[in-house]
Amino acid sequence: MEKRLLQKTTAWERCNHWILALSFIVLFLTGLGFLYQSLNWINTVFGGNHLAKEIHRWGGLVFAISLILTMGNYFAEAVSFTEEDKKWLSSLGGYFSRTEEPPPQGRLNAGQKLFYLVVVLIFGLAISLSGFMLWFFNTSRGLILFAHFLHNLSYIVFAFAVPLHIYLSTAANPGTLRVMTRGTVSAAWAKKHHGKWARDMGVD
Amino acid sequence: MALEQVDIKRRLSGVDVPTRRKGLLVTPELCIGCRGCQTACKEWNKLPGDRTVNRGTYENPPDLTPNLFNRIRFVEVGSGDALKWLFISQRCMHCTDAGCMKVCPAPGALYRTDEGAVAFNKDKCIGCKFCVAGCPFNIPRYDEQGRVAKCHLCSDRIAYGLQPACAKTCPTGAIRFGDREELVSYAKNVGFKSLYGMNDLGGLGVLYAFKEKPSYYGLPDKPDFAPTISLWKGILKPLALIGLGGALAAAATHYITVGPKETDEGGEE
Ligand code: HEM
Ligand code: SF4
Ligand code: SF4
Ligand code: SF4
Repeated sequence: MEKRLLQKTTAWERCNHWILALSFIVLFLTGLGFLYQSLNWINTVFGGNHLAKEIHRWGGLVFAISLILTMGNYFAEAVSFTEEDKKWLSSLGGYFSRTEEPPPQGRLNAGQKLFYLVVVLIFGLAISLSGFMLWFFNTSRGLILFAHFLHNLSYIVFAFAVPLHIYLSTAANPGTLRVMTRGTVSAAWAKKHHGKWARDMGVD
Repeated sequence: MALEQVDIKRRLSGVDVPTRRKGLLVTPELCIGCRGCQTACKEWNKLPGDRTVNRGTYENPPDLTPNLFNRIRFVEVGSGDALKWLFISQRCMHCTDAGCMKVCPAPGALYRTDEGAVAFNKDKCIGCKFCVAGCPFNIPRYDEQGRVAKCHLCSDRIAYGLQPACAKTCPTGAIRFGDREELVSYAKNVGFKSLYGMNDLGGLGVLYAFKEKPSYYGLPDKPDFAPTISLWKGILKPLALIGLGGALAAAATHYITVGPKETDEGGEE
């Protein structure tokens, strides 16, 4: 089979992704330092609680802006629910079987669409908005309590979903990390993971 | 401060209150509204005066400020001949189950002293203002730098065996300082069957000898912090680490059982 490379992401998409991911990791770690007294040493690494607070706030702004920008990359595709998505979901993406294969997928499979829409977009907006509330509107008791709760609730969703996202983008699907590093994938990878998209790209 | 290095864990956890706990007993009926306590507190804590306006009442200032850690509220109840004037000291209650300490994300900004007081360290406060939302009594205030300020039970006096400035200055015994247990038995001896703060929030450090219901004096009958705080502390907070650990464990388990989705052809990076 010919050694062809297919372009799956644009350079802009990859920059957007890594700014989002980097800001997220900084926010996640400083957040953990604030959440648990026993993990407050993390914020000592970030230069103490005072500096960590500033990093967490401005990092949040970077995260929120990159988040809005991802909508241009994924939103339209993520909200279009196709017949393949249904099949992908009913076979659980084929992740719980060594033999079962979901039908050929488009550029994003149902799992990726859901990860984007539910985790990244909805809880991303929730954690960003509540963060801004705690930053700018912390004069009202009710608002602080509401935002504090929402911020922590969204945090849990991310604490659970992002490690899984990283696993699925690396070890679970060898060759996938290239999508976000080089932007290109082999034809074989494309056929295996996104068959319908591969066909659209002219790979038979 | 050397004092702060003692048993740092207990101070930060905030819940483990010493058994020989110090406290205040406030008896509104004894208060004559002289506000000596307000002045004495300012003097000991080197707090400037606040400029206020005449609101047509002797009560002044109208609220706690970052420069006013305790205040006498002047409350008029009833009408005509039955009119009564109540004087109630408003300040931090030094709760056992302190909502402010629960939500504070900067360890050491609020800490429990050896005497059971909830004291603060402005240098460690990051000015998030969560504690004011966590406090059932709306006590913490913020200075111009956005740092926390409130009554600390004169932690820098009681640690050396002195009584708090407000209690020392009070001419009538309306603010009484001592071992919390002794204050309770003293109040019982003089005829107060129950005290406000005896069991509320795990026991308040400041006890009130009320003759009527707490709401009569303008305090919540059943003080408690917002339910979202218990929910957060009890469920959300542990779930964050459990979720992270669970996700990592699930990923590892998947990898060694079902295994990755290898591309059939070898030539893969
Ligand atoms: C170091 C951590 C991360 C790694 C290694 C990583 C890796 C990847 C890879 C390889 C893809 C492409 C998948 C494909 O198109 O087949 C991807 C997509 C994506 N990533 Fe990440 N990522 C990381 C962190 C994050 C974080 C923190 C977020 C958001 C908070 C995020 C959001 C997204 C989104 C929205 C997509 C679009 C496709 C999808 O939904 O899967 N990523 N990531
Ligand atoms: S009264 Fe408010 S500020 Fe004082 S210890 Fe209780 S919760 Fe904290
Ligand atoms: S304002 Fe200061 S004392 Fe209050 S919760 Fe935030 S860091 Fe703690
Ligand atoms: S105990 Fe000390 S800090 Fe608290 S109100 Fe009295 S004088 Fe002020």
